Formats: sequence, structure tokens, C-alpha cells
Amino acid sequence: MVKYIIKRLLLAALILLGVSFILYVLMRCAPSNIIADQYMETHKDLPDEERARNLKALLAAYGLDDDSFFGILKGYFMWFGKFLRGDMGRSFSRSMPVEEVIGQYMWLSFGISFVALILEMLIAIPLGVKCAVNQYGKLDYVATVLCMVGIAFPSFFLGNLFIKWFAVDLGWFPIDGLTGNYAVGSSNFEIFLHNIWCLILPMTVMVLLSIGGLMRYTRTNTLEVLNADYIRTARAKGLSESKVVYKHVFRNTMIPLVTQLSFTLPTLFGGAMITEQVFNLPGIGNITYQAMLKNDIFLVLGYNMFLAVLTVIGVLLADIMYAVVDPRVKLGR
Amino acid sequence: MATNKDKKHYISRSESRAIAKENSKAIRHFEKQKKRRAKPEEYTTEMKDDNNIIEFEDLHTYFFSDAGTVKAVNGVTFSIPAGSTVGVVGESGCGKSVTSLSLMQLVQAPSGQIVSGSIRFKASLFKRDERGRKIPVYETETDENGEEKVKLNEKGKPIIKKNSLGGNVYEMEDRVVDIAKMPTEHMRSIRGREIAMIFQEPMTSLNPVFTIGNQLDEVGLLHIEGISKKQVKAHSINMLKMVGIADAEGVYKKYPHELSGGMRQRVMIAIALLCNPKLIIADEPTTALDVTIQAQILDLLRDIKHKINGSIMLITHDLGVVAEMADYVVVMYAGRVIEMGTAEDIFDNPLHPYTIGLQKSKPTVDGEVDKLYCIPGFVPNPINMPDYCYFRDRCEMCKEKCAGEYPGYVQVSPTHKVACYLYEETKEDGNGQ
Repeated sequence: MVKYIIKRLLLAALILLGVSFILYVLMRCAPSNIIADQYMETHKDLPDEERARNLKALLAAYGLDDDSFFGILKGYFMWFGKFLRGDMGRSFSRSMPVEEVIGQYMWLSFGISFVALILEMLIAIPLGVKCAVNQYGKLDYVATVLCMVGIAFPSFFLGNLFIKWFAVDLGWFPIDGLTGNYAVGSSNFEIFLHNIWCLILPMTVMVLLSIGGLMRYTRTNTLEVLNADYIRTARAKGLSESKVVYKHVFRNTMIPLVTQLSFTLPTLFGGAMITEQVFNLPGIGNITYQAMLKNDIFLVLGYNMFLAVLTVIGVLLADIMYAVVDPRVKLGR
Repeated sequence: MATNKDKKHYISRSESRAIAKENSKAIRHFEKQKKRRAKPEEYTTEMKDDNNIIEFEDLHTYFFSDAGTVKAVNGVTFSIPAGSTVGVVGESGCGKSVTSLSLMQLVQAPSGQIVSGSIRFKASLFKRDERGRKIPVYETETDENGEEKVKLNEKGKPIIKKNSLGGNVYEMEDRVVDIAKMPTEHMRSIRGREIAMIFQEPMTSLNPVFTIGNQLDEVGLLHIEGISKKQVKAHSINMLKMVGIADAEGVYKKYPHELSGGMRQRVMIAIALLCNPKLIIADEPTTALDVTIQAQILDLLRDIKHKINGSIMLITHDLGVVAEMADYVVVMYAGRVIEMGTAEDIFDNPLHPYTIGLQKSKPTVDGEVDKLYCIPGFVPNPINMPDYCYFRDRCEMCKEKCAGEYPGYVQVSPTHKVACYLYEETKEDGNGQ
């Protein structure tokens, strides 16, 4: 087991190396970057020649001056060398180091996604099992249709619809994200409650849109297990139907589910770019989106590397979880 | 006529819609029947012959499929005498397994349903008081005056008598129940306790994510009330030893995938034996195993039958197995019993052309045969069965009369019955029921 994990971690390092290179090259292919934009913007009064010279020197400091293949390679090693030492570069749009930007805005995204994920699991998994047990029943048809609607809805559409209905028309929730509109002198707890209230709409949208997939997945897996021979054995023992379903069936349905849920790690920390943007929440997804519009290459690079690391960890976690829930799986070779 | 034949496997959309409508109606009706709240009196009956423990009578089990109603079991009548082994033989798809699954109410629902007929079973059920609770038997002692009194514990509550395994003793009553009419909820106390089943596929019949011990204990904890976990464990390990597993404690802790096919089938038998059932249904218990293991498993089954003093319903298509194990043989074809009798009757004096064909198609060691005999043709399509002998199209001894309706039973000897027109003249009186 330990040997397997070490092997997988070494492999992960190799994967991350490849990912980082591709990401860097892609970012360098972008027509402009924030350093050039900002310099040109702030030094309009200098003569063109001097501007160009200064800009080149400035870009050279970040390894961004030479757009030839070897120039990009050199810049990559410069950036990656710093990355390994924990320095992910500076975000010029936020005027902060990239790692600080991620560290600061990640937690809001995590909070929203985490609560949404828990709610999603609590609703989708029991619903999926129920639907499978009553296949082609009324509940099954209704839930399936609603799930399909949920899967088909784009998040920006449902998000805006909710804002229109619940925030503008009914006025139950604030219109744009975390307003910070609490009375002066509120206690920490009151501020917390206020923030939760602000986050209800985006969380609802995230839950509604993600239930469908998980519920269908659970339903399919449960149906497969329900037809297995060992379920017939369990019934032949005289067990009650609920015991058959919630002990024998569910334990087997959990195997693919747990693996599936381990893959959600990147989305948990990575934020929901579009939903956060619709509700104007200062989560990491929204911040990166804005950085992308401003060509803030180091922040975008850092964010994508962050996602890559999370994905690699997620896959490893899925493998380990697989061995935990399924006794037939032995990690090692 | 020709166009009709071409259309045989084609269903138009309106036909298919009509079938679906009929099916959902029928399924809803039967599912409701199974889920209904019924009083025990509703399904209590009488045995025709008190020596039997199971009597099938005119059992019909249908599958309501999208292509039409499949009459998998179409009027099966036979009985299992107490303490005997009854072999049910026939080729694949003739309804052997569905007959046994009907007996356990385990036919794949919702499409498969017991439609009519009865399955009488001499069950010993818990006696219940007016409020539906089991009536415990209390420990008694004789006091100084020589009177019998119920023993009380420190808290002043009566102590329930324990059996040798450590479970509570309740008052039992023998009652004949009709399983075909029983709601599933009531059936649960018979499944696993009175009738146990061993399945064809030992490789997939055990739940892969639970240990062998867990799966064994489950049955004990369910059916033996008041037993402690420790006692159940001891009993389970005992059972594993009884089915010939040497390292019972080790196997108890293992997962199914760590055992071989033969070992898993032994575990299945141990599960079946755990509550001392009156009847064990063995649904092709050796089909998935190799020959040496087959012999061991069959020996084990025979041994166990003597130990628990129960009956076995052995379902197989292997005539060799039947010859070795069975006291009575029932031959099925296309959902019907076509011939039945004692093992000697069937093997020494097979009457029905199908039984004769089956016998001939068995490989033999003595005598040189160039080619193994094979019954020509296939089992007919189970949807829209004709009302004449189902074997007619494959039969070598077919007569004019066979074009008529399905033949009744001819009682050839007191134990031997056959459904064929060939024997009707010889025993005109025969209409065995």
C-alpha cells in the first residue's frame, strides 16, 4: 500500500511536470500579457523607442521577453524553478503573490462547494436508490424528468432566473453575492448568518444542477446490483426488503460512488467559475475569470497548476478509496 | 398462413402497446396481491397427502415480457414426500428453476409472477397471540410444594427458555400454508428458516463486500431470536465445519473472492443449513463446478439430508446426478411435467419419448457410439404455445392423435405417471391426478 502510494506520487510528479509545461506554453501563446499592458498604459508619455526598450528589460525579468521556442523554454524553467520553491509569481491584477490570492479566495469557494456537495449527496443518493427500487414507478419518472431538466439547464441561466425571481421580484435574498450589508456593531455570529443568507441562492443553484448526474449514476448502479445473484441469495435468506436494499445493495452501489466522489476534489477547491461570476462572489473561480480577462498570466497559470495538483490527488484518493470500500481490490502491484 | 408465419417474430406498434398495457395491469394486480395485508387464515389449507411436505398443484408462473406472456411454468403438479430427494430434470428453459423460485417467491419481479395454482407447504410457524406477537415458552421450576412455577429473574421477569443454540424458544404450530397466496412479508419467515436454497452460481451468489462470517451470521441473527452474536458465530463456524471446511475459523473471516468455487458452494450450503430447514432446494448446485468437486458436493448434500432429516428438491439437467441422488424424478418440458415416478421407474422404464430421448443423449462409457444422440429441434417458443403436446414437433413416435389437445396424465403404475397419447390405450382408465 505505502509502496503503491509512493509510486503513484512519483508518477504524479511526472504528470505535473508535463501539465505545467503545456500550460506555460499555452499561456505564452496568448497575444499579450498584463505586464506589457500595464506598462504601456502607465507610461504613455515616454517616447516609443524608450518604452519598447524598457518593456523588453521588464519582460526579461519575468522570462517573458523572447517568444522563440528556446526563449519560451528558458522562461518555463525560470517560472517552474520558482514554482518548485513555492513562489508562483505575482498577480499583477490583484497586486499580490499568486499563492496568496489562491489562499485568500479559495475558502469561500470551498465553503460553498462543500455545503453544496453534502446537500447533493444527501438528496441524490437516497433518491437514486429509491428510484432504482421502484423502477418505472411514478417517483422514478418524475425524478428522472426533473433530473434531466437539471442536467440540461446552464448554470448562468438558472442563476439569473433565480436572481430575477427570488432577489428582484420577491426580494428574499440580496441581488449580488456577499453584500457586506450588515448593521454596524453586529457580532461575528450575526455576520456569519448574514453571509450564509447571501450564499443560499448560489448554493441552491449548484445543488439543483448537480443532483441530476449523481442521481442517475446512483440509479444505474443500484439497478445493476439489484439484479445480481447475491441479492437473490440475500432475499432467499429471508431478509426484509429494506435490509436487502440498504445493506446488501447499497454497500455494493457505494463502490463506484465513492470513487466518483473522490474526483470532485478539484471542483471542491477550484470553485464554480460561472456560478460565482453570476452571483458576483469573490471566490477563486470568479477571481481567476477576471484575471483571465486582464491577461494576468501568472495567476491563471498558478490557478491551473493548483487544479492539476488537486486532480492528481483526487485520482490517487479515488484509488485508495476503491481499495477501502471494495475488499477485492488490493493496491500494491 | 405463410405470411402469418413470417410475421411470427414481428410485433406491430399497436400490438406492443396493447401488450405493455396488459402487462402493467397484470403486474400491478399481482404486486398488490403480494404486498397486501393478509391474515394467516387466508392462506392456510390442507395437505392432500399427509406424507408430503410440498405439494405443487396446477402451478402457473408467467413472465409478462414485452413480446408477450411467457408461460414459464404452465400447470405443474407434483409433490415432495417428507425425507426424500426429488430430482427435477429437463433441458434449459423448461421451467425447472422457475418452479423452484416460485416455491421461494423469488421469481424475478415485477415481470415474473405466480399467476394461479397452489404450492402447499407444511410449515411450522410461530404461534401468535391476538396482537400478533410470538408466544415465548418460559423456564419452569418446581417449588417446595411440588408445583410447577415459571422461573423469574432478579427483576421479577420470567426467563424465556433457551434452546441448544442459545435462542429463545417460542410456541410453534404446524400449519399447511399456500405459498402461492402468501404475502411476501409473511413468506420471509419461511425463507431461510424452513426452506433454504442453494443456487447454481457459487461464484456470484455471495455478496463480494461482506465476509463469509457476516453473511452466515446474518441468517442466524435473523431467524434465531434471542441468540447472542457470540453464539451465532460459534454456530456458523460449526456449520462451516459440518460442510467439510477444514479451516472454519479462517474461512469465517475471509471474503468470498478469497475462496474457490467449490468452497463457496460449501459456504452456500452452510448458509442453507444454518436454521435446520425442512427442505433444501438445490438449483443446479454442481453445474458451475468441475467434476471432482461435483462429486464432493453431491456427497455432502446426501450426508446433510440424513443429518437434518429433511428433503431435497434437486434441480439439474444432469441425469447422472439424478440417478445417483434422487428417490423420485420429475421430468419437465416447456413448463409442464411430462413424466414422473420413482428413480427406478424413470431410469429403467422411461415412457415419454422426451425422457427416452434424454436417456439416449446421455454419454456412456460402455459400448462404442460414433455420435452422441441428440433430440432434433428446439424447445418451442414459450410465447403463444399451441394447445397440443409441446413435444409433438420433435417427437419420433408421433401419432395422429397427437394433433389433438394436450394429453392428460396416464397412470402407468402406482408411482409412475406420464403425459403422452402413446400409453392411453394400454391404460384407458388412466387420468392420474
